[in-house]
Amino acid sequence: MKTLILGLGNPILSDDGVGNRIAQELEGKLSQRQGVTVQETSMSGLSLIDLLAGYDKAIIVDAIQTAEGKPGEIYRLSPDAFNNTRHASSPHDVNFATALELGNRLGMALPKQIVVYAIEAADTSTFSEKCTPEVAKAIPICVKMIIKELNGNHLTKVADGSKRLSDS
Amino acid sequence: MASCKATDAVFHVDPPPAGKKLREAFYCAHYIHSHIAHFYALAAPDFVMGPTSDPAQRNILGVISKVGLQIGGEVIKHRAYAQNIQAAIAGKATHPVGGIPGGMSKPITEEQRKDFEEKAKSCVEFSKFSLKLFGDVVLANKDYLNLITGNIYTMKSYYMGMVDSNNKVNFYDGTVRVVDPEGKEVVKFKPSEYLDYVAEHTEPWSYLKFPFLKKVGWKGFTEGKDSGIYRVSPLARLNVADGMATPLAQAEYEKLFKTLGGKPVHATLAFHWARLVELMYASERLLELCQDKEITDPKVRTIPTATPDEGVGIVEAPRGTLIHHYQTDKNGMVIKVNLIVATAHNYPAMHMSIKKAAQGLIKKGTAVSEGLLNMVEMAFRAYDPCMACATHTLPGQMPLEIVIYDSNKEELRRISQNLTEGD
Repeated sequence: MKTLILGLGNPILSDDGVGNRIAQELEGKLSQRQGVTVQETSMSGLSLIDLLAGYDKAIIVDAIQTAEGKPGEIYRLSPDAFNNTRHASSPHDVNFATALELGNRLGMALPKQIVVYAIEAADTSTFSEKCTPEVAKAIPICVKMIIKELNGNHLTKVADGSKRLSDS
Repeated sequence: MASCKATDAVFHVDPPPAGKKLREAFYCAHYIHSHIAHFYALAAPDFVMGPTSDPAQRNILGVISKVGLQIGGEVIKHRAYAQNIQAAIAGKATHPVGGIPGGMSKPITEEQRKDFEEKAKSCVEFSKFSLKLFGDVVLANKDYLNLITGNIYTMKSYYMGMVDSNNKVNFYDGTVRVVDPEGKEVVKFKPSEYLDYVAEHTEPWSYLKFPFLKKVGWKGFTEGKDSGIYRVSPLARLNVADGMATPLAQAEYEKLFKTLGGKPVHATLAFHWARLVELMYASERLLELCQDKEITDPKVRTIPTATPDEGVGIVEAPRGTLIHHYQTDKNGMVIKVNLIVATAHNYPAMHMSIKKAAQGLIKKGTAVSEGLLNMVEMAFRAYDPCMACATHTLPGQMPLEIVIYDSNKEELRRISQNLTEGD
């Protein structure tokens, strides 16, 4: 089974780069692991499906900002959680859910299972190569969660996208 | 790419021919990716599905269902080709790292050149298909043609864009040409002179500035020759130029102006057609560059030797003229930056286009519907604006509100979508 761990974000925009940081940590820990590829990207929309093609499973790691979220909280989501952004959300590119559905309709070899680890961000607009303290604290926790996920031992069901998670 | 050129200017260094050709090839690939995405994902839903069609279907998925899955595959394939070429030349397609002061960080191999050449040939064919699709779906439909040329989506403004020494459209290098609303050249300036021609107005209600032509002046949100408001965009580039530098794009350029009544064209929705003409130019130019053996020359950088100080770089980004202006200390550390991006140039015009569409569409006795909201949004979408793409926000939908008043300014109705508290 081929698994892709994809860290998304802009590494010079504070917490926006948390996905990149987590991918970097995981790359060091998983370099010897067969069948696992760790990658970082700043791409979005249609470009993402090019990256996902050819893998059986994908774990996507990205920053998120929700209405009542607390910085550093980690959510484990399925792509279904993004369905409500499907229609005409961005004036600039299609969103993740649309891109995935397009890829599936076109018969692309997209992963059968996609899990999104989203970390609540505090600041995504200040130029910095470091995350804010609360988000930085979440990095090792999320790294552990993803390694557990790879070992088939994640903390909740994928479908339980709305539930906030914290590692004990 | 503007930052590459600005840093060349800061370090007083001129890249060697292969360095410039690689940058231009990268940039053509960038255009191909960007214009394909905008046309198929953002513009086509309004025309293929219809501007007032069910919003659940008015997206790229609806377009693909209607025009065929095979076309969807071609869209994805050619976008990916363009992304691959960018990544191969400059390390990454998004946030590329290959451009450095004086040129590029690495050359390409003969094997890569051949690969790019085949991909560029395929992109030329895909551009032909895309223009044919536009002709079949949009131009052959009288209602759509009337919509494009109608008053509600028309705005008479100045236009700005970069041209080469023959006044042909050039994305990477040249001089910036400005024409008035009648199409007459009013100025051509070098990048370093931009502050002599562009100034920025401010309004207390917006943190984005409103650029205008300094010598005409800011006369408020008004159209015409007396107002310094100008537009940049694919259509602006076609309006300021005397033609395209490649044969198939030139033929499409001529067809556009012949169909829409001659130069300049003021129809905001024609930005989409101009985008496809440019898709053809980008594909043809990429092919030319990939067939030029000099592009594999290993000398891709001139090492800077002068003390850095200040420089301006201007390119035509897919959405319009992009200006980067840097000042550094003697160690090359940046001390001042000024950027004017395409969306900023177009910001005054966007307000006017939205207002005109809303005023033209909302009439006494007309039912105000979601379709109407979309038709107002179409005036905004044509600019392909780079306002903050809220990529990490749920729900990531476009907030929009229209308030309808009667002649006594009494609120009659308020229609909104995707507003959150505080909007």
